[in-house]
Amino acid sequence: MTSTELLRAEHLTRHFKIGGLLSRRTLHAVDDVSFSIGEREIVALAGESGSGKSTIARVLARVYKPTSGQVYFEGKPLSAIRSRRDGLRYASLVPMVFQDPFASMNPVFRVQHGVLRILKLHRPELSAKQRLGEAARVFGVVGLGADMLQRFPYELSGGQRQRVGFAQALAMRPKLILADEPVSMLDVSIRIGLLNLMAKLRDEEGVSILYITHDIAGARYVADRLIVMYAGQIAESGPIEDVLSAPKHPYTQLLLSAVPDPMAPLAQVTDRGEPPRVVDPAPGCRFRWRCPLAVEQCSSVTPVLAEVRPNHEVACHVAQTGAEVRAFAS
Amino acid sequence: MSEAHEILEVSGLSVDYAVPQGPGADIRAVDDVSFTVDRGEFLGIVGESGCGKSTLLFAVAQLLAPPAHLASGTVKFKGTNLVGLTDKQLSAIRWRDLSVVMQSAMNALNPVKSIGAQFQDALQAHGKPSRKEIAARSAEVLRMVGIDPVHLKSYPHQLSGGMRQRSMIAMAMLFTPDLIIMDEPTSALDVVAQRALMVQIKELQQAYGFAVIFVTHDMSLTSHFSDRLMVMYAGQIDELGATRTIFDRPLHPYTQGLLEAFPSIHGPRVPLKGIPGNPPDLAAIPSGCRFHPRCPHAVQRCTVTAPDLYPVDGDLVRCLRRQDGSLPDADQEGSLSR
Repeated sequence: MTSTELLRAEHLTRHFKIGGLLSRRTLHAVDDVSFSIGEREIVALAGESGSGKSTIARVLARVYKPTSGQVYFEGKPLSAIRSRRDGLRYASLVPMVFQDPFASMNPVFRVQHGVLRILKLHRPELSAKQRLGEAARVFGVVGLGADMLQRFPYELSGGQRQRVGFAQALAMRPKLILADEPVSMLDVSIRIGLLNLMAKLRDEEGVSILYITHDIAGARYVADRLIVMYAGQIAESGPIEDVLSAPKHPYTQLLLSAVPDPMAPLAQVTDRGEPPRVVDPAPGCRFRWRCPLAVEQCSSVTPVLAEVRPNHEVACHVAQTGAEVRAFAS
Repeated sequence: MSEAHEILEVSGLSVDYAVPQGPGADIRAVDDVSFTVDRGEFLGIVGESGCGKSTLLFAVAQLLAPPAHLASGTVKFKGTNLVGLTDKQLSAIRWRDLSVVMQSAMNALNPVKSIGAQFQDALQAHGKPSRKEIAARSAEVLRMVGIDPVHLKSYPHQLSGGMRQRSMIAMAMLFTPDLIIMDEPTSALDVVAQRALMVQIKELQQAYGFAVIFVTHDMSLTSHFSDRLMVMYAGQIDELGATRTIFDRPLHPYTQGLLEAFPSIHGPRVPLKGIPGNPPDLAAIPSGCRFHPRCPHAVQRCTVTAPDLYPVDGDLVRCLRRQDGSLPDADQEGSLSR
């Protein structure tokens, strides 16, 4: 990418032990994932439920420690963050916006409570009056009137609450916002407004956003780059228009063929959408059971990401031979 | 159409929610809704949260529980008015002639009973089938939805989200009813599983001839599957017509706005605006046309006169300016997105 690199994940892996005390089974939520996010860039992280999208967000937010691998933010590894001060600083530079705007606000406090607390904690240099002014400013940026600060969460619609979520993140003067399905619980007519807000934060406030979603069309609307996850691994990544106009991974093709489009004829898809098993997976491509193009190599060798076109990477043995991949028509 | 083609006839249906302030302040969630469903028809109902679509389904299935209650209207199913039937009379119809598939299969299925045991419950509610008959029919319906009958012994938590939804649909088909009502059955699934389930519902419907009422907030989902589409806004029908016509030529500004709120994965990237404002609070419904505060085409009379549902080009649409022909067409200047 041309922009400066803000965050880089190298061979990020996060496993979870599952089952009882004596169980040795391990769920591979994220396996050997490497990617980077540039400045002023919206990166969409797409994939089905259980593909590891949210686990990545939580590792980046330091909720989970990676099992192995490393995340670098502005060149410094996250594992070097030891003190509370450094932790707070990182949390303010990389805040999270959550999926459920109804569960992520305290119902007994006015809306301003959350924003003012954030300002007090992360920007102690501000006076009480300056904090109120700053709260009104960030509310203005996200398209909420200053009168909203005095409201209670129950008085706000879902779209307004989600704007409050972005305002809270913005109050920290972030570099990168981790947005985990920020619009999926909102009504269709409201979603576009939030996507437009994300684009505005990038263009006018210079914030990067990791936009986690399963909505490819929404991702295309707002994102610069797309990372497609499948079963804890990256299947394909690249500039979003390149990936969507010429998807190389069979899973990306399947995903695109299933997007409902009223104006296009119905694509014939026979895949049932059964999620893959990532408990103690054997080597090999994790999509091979659903892939109509699978070759022998796919069941023994795990494919790794490789560039097939400039900046466009695919983890697929067939695509990497240079052969044309047409697993699912879209 | 003769009456024999109509399996369901809903007329003048209104549902109120009781509030602590007393009956005078009741909130009307569904307001004077009338429609019919033909035998074997697939009717899609779309709208935003709070538009009354789920309440309408519950009213049709006679599943309303306090504080919701029917204020007026009739629900004629195969000629019988379901309103006022006793629970016992309704039990005879449920599962056998009319089934409901709920939004969240994880909550609708009993978590401590196997799938097979739950099928058995439904089968035994209508007669005394032998154990063999139960096993045979249960296995048959599971196979219809593409699940291996070994899963009759499985508990809901052992199935994936898509399999749970499909087993709910299998359960709804135990008696091959005449009408299956589905409340957002695919909303918890991701796109690939969602598409697979839609195709399956359509195939089953074509094979067994039941009618479907399918409620969703995602308009594009129904585009290839429903015969007719009903768009609801603030408890009322805004537009009702053939699905294809509505997608090609939406008549109501709200329908136009909904269609233009979807980014596409094809074609150029164009900036979209969505629909400004928020869905109305049913306790404080706007005067005149309920959509006028959010409508880009609203004029003065829209704020005072409440429009009826007018027939326009074979569809029904609730818009004053569409009725008198003063509304610009969707693809001309003044449209929401351009």
